[in-house]
Amino acid sequence: MAMPMDAPLLEVKGVSKTFDGVVRALDDVSIEARRNEIVGVVGENGAGKSTLMKILVGVYPPDKGELYYRGRKVPFPKNPKEAAKRGISIVYQEKGVIPWLKAYQFLLLGHEDKYVKFSRLQIDKMKKHARGILEELHVKCDVEDFMYEPPLSTQKMVEIARAILSVRLERGDANVTPIIILDEPTAPLTVEERRELFSDILDMKENASFIFVSHIIPEVMEFTDRVHVLRDGKLVAHYDLSKEKITEEDLFRAIVGRESTEYVYKPEVKRVVSEEVVLTVKNLTKNGCYYDASFDLHKGECIGIFGPAGSGKSEIIKTIAGLMSFEGGVLIVRGQKVKADELPHVRLGRGIGYFSGETGKELFLNWPIVKNISIVNIKKILTKLIPVISFNAEKKMAEKVVKKLRIRAPSVNTDCYSLSGGSKQKVSVGKWIERSPDILLLEDPTVGIDVGAREDMYEILLETKKSGISMILVSDDPKEYSILCNKIVSIKDGRIQEVLSPEKFGKVMAT
Amino acid sequence: MKILGRSKLITPVIIRTLKTHPVILALIALFAMFSVLYPERFLTPLNFSTILRQFVTLTLFALGPSIVVVTGMLDLSYVGIWMLGGILVWLLMPILGIFSILVIPLLGLATGLIIGVIQVKARIPSFILTLSLLVTYWGLTATLSGGYPRPVREYEFITAPLIRYLPTAFLWSIPIIIAAVFIMKRTRIGTYLYAIGSNEEGAQLAGINVDTYKIVAFTLSGLFTGIGSIILFQHLGGAAPVELNLNTVVWPLVAMVLGGTPLVGGSGGPQRTILGALTFAVVYRGLLLSLLHPEVIQLLVGLLLIVSIVVGARGLKGVTIT
Repeated sequence: MAMPMDAPLLEVKGVSKTFDGVVRALDDVSIEARRNEIVGVVGENGAGKSTLMKILVGVYPPDKGELYYRGRKVPFPKNPKEAAKRGISIVYQEKGVIPWLKAYQFLLLGHEDKYVKFSRLQIDKMKKHARGILEELHVKCDVEDFMYEPPLSTQKMVEIARAILSVRLERGDANVTPIIILDEPTAPLTVEERRELFSDILDMKENASFIFVSHIIPEVMEFTDRVHVLRDGKLVAHYDLSKEKITEEDLFRAIVGRESTEYVYKPEVKRVVSEEVVLTVKNLTKNGCYYDASFDLHKGECIGIFGPAGSGKSEIIKTIAGLMSFEGGVLIVRGQKVKADELPHVRLGRGIGYFSGETGKELFLNWPIVKNISIVNIKKILTKLIPVISFNAEKKMAEKVVKKLRIRAPSVNTDCYSLSGGSKQKVSVGKWIERSPDILLLEDPTVGIDVGAREDMYEILLETKKSGISMILVSDDPKEYSILCNKIVSIKDGRIQEVLSPEKFGKVMAT
Repeated sequence: MKILGRSKLITPVIIRTLKTHPVILALIALFAMFSVLYPERFLTPLNFSTILRQFVTLTLFALGPSIVVVTGMLDLSYVGIWMLGGILVWLLMPILGIFSILVIPLLGLATGLIIGVIQVKARIPSFILTLSLLVTYWGLTATLSGGYPRPVREYEFITAPLIRYLPTAFLWSIPIIIAAVFIMKRTRIGTYLYAIGSNEEGAQLAGINVDTYKIVAFTLSGLFTGIGSIILFQHLGGAAPVELNLNTVVWPLVAMVLGGTPLVGGSGGPQRTILGALTFAVVYRGLLLSLLHPEVIQLLVGLLLIVSIVVGARGLKGVTIT
């Protein structure tokens, strides 16, 4: 063969991509995937991972760059079908399986034309082929099973099998080594299901190469052979884990890219604020998510629950918000034991507000600012005589919030979809500050907004804390914990490891 | 000077109103067009009276359901409430006398409540649920009536003419319209229903009991249809009907969608439905005067529904709640 044996299976060289002529999503990035290996591509949200993968499967064209397949230069694919011809296929995080198809129908979806004889589908041939691939890859699923039947990790495996199959069928070669991109494949899985999935993927290394996209550091450390680190659209590091000794902290610093001094505890954050306990979490358990979680939240205090994605931190905060129920343990809000299956509106009645940084979740985008702020504060703006909304009071309240939070908008009647990311975030959090619940739960409060808006948000949240509102923070950014929290509960694999003071947390993160 | 200042204020208000209610432009255009095309027949008091009559029918049927549509669901039970209510009035006449008409709003309330509860418990598409209920009520009506329309003469006073050319039913419908608009615009319930239609997850996060308010939406819808049907009972002939006419079901839908309430929810509402109802009544009247064949008119009405649904759905972004 013309192909040199030591050339990587797939090589991407110097890829750049700019959106709308302004936002530089990728800047001269080069990565490679070798035969039968798992290569990690890691980075924060917005680092450019997804853009790079979408270029590889033909969703976007790159502005610049070259693609080599088996050492030979090839053009970038223009659609997923062409990508499959170049040996590349992707398993998306969110797409998932089609529940009401049988396994063989799902596996061969889109390839039916290869099984037509006398304008009729050869079902038996399809089943045989599908069974063959499932057995070859050791997927514990029968071709006659409906796709909703197997556990989630097996469903993911079927998706991977489907990706491999599509490369083989497109290239018409059963011995080809496909390059399978796994885009955050573990997001919907529980801790146990993740282990299951990874041991299965390791078994598949003989049949394929994997590009594993993730921001979950322990997973990447455990299962990949090499790691490419992206930050702000640039390739900032490359580690060969089989040769180099790399710790989780090294990788973390490469991903976040901040000087360690930034994590040092800021002395203006006071330790103990009040003796009054507003929320007690005791042995709280939700199987598959977290176990035996216990801590007390004092008045005017902020507790951070820190851990890698998938550690159960997000599930704990969602449980307190009433978005999830719990199975064991006790949750006491202001001295009252609460039921496990209470909905968010009941919890809000008890004084718990939940703020998510994902503005699409939280905001009514086709509404003006004024309505978005009044939605949780309607009781305040009803006229006294009969319970009717006073538009005047509503406007005054919104203007107060806009002024206080320095939200940049032409007027309070501006529709929210036209605001900038930072302003949207401020509107979302502003309505809660106006409501001033006893406890405010913060999940990724600054996700997706720029640095300036971030600083503003921290200032607003610190101010809120000073006014006596207790907070619980869950975030991906350790810096946020040092800035906002009075104490930090670290969690791993669903279990609380230790409780750290901000000083200690700063030191741990700095080393 | 003073006049100038005022006109400066009025122009932006007009522009804003036209932006949020583009159907007003269509209404004016159609009105002008028909006035030019058939000056003798269109611009007559009798013709206006006919248009108002149809407006009343459409509005009273569509007012309740447009509360449900705001939440992103659909309620087709209105004709069913009117039919079954009518036959119940006839059945209860010997017992309750003149008060038997009050059974219609009660039926509406109960129907809305039942639909709401089934909807949130079973989590099925409201379209299919309410359509099935409509068919059930139709069957029940036919069974109870023995298959014949049953006239009831006691309620002729409801539509007794008060002012020449102005249908009395129209006067009755005014307070009902005001009540519906008021609930949607100025109360907590209304705001929460818009919230559910705009972003259901967001509504839940904002501490709104989504299930309860969905039930409230259907109950209000049923109640408004029930109250409206008191007037419609006499307005549409003073007899319990036994045959389901598809037009009675579809036309109020057209009025709703034409008014600018997208079926995906989150914006629109009763105030737009009355605009849509008026526009549809004008269109229909104009088409009738054009002497087109009735089947062709039927076809055009169908097309109008499709076009307004597409426009309504695409025009969601940027349409402010009004």
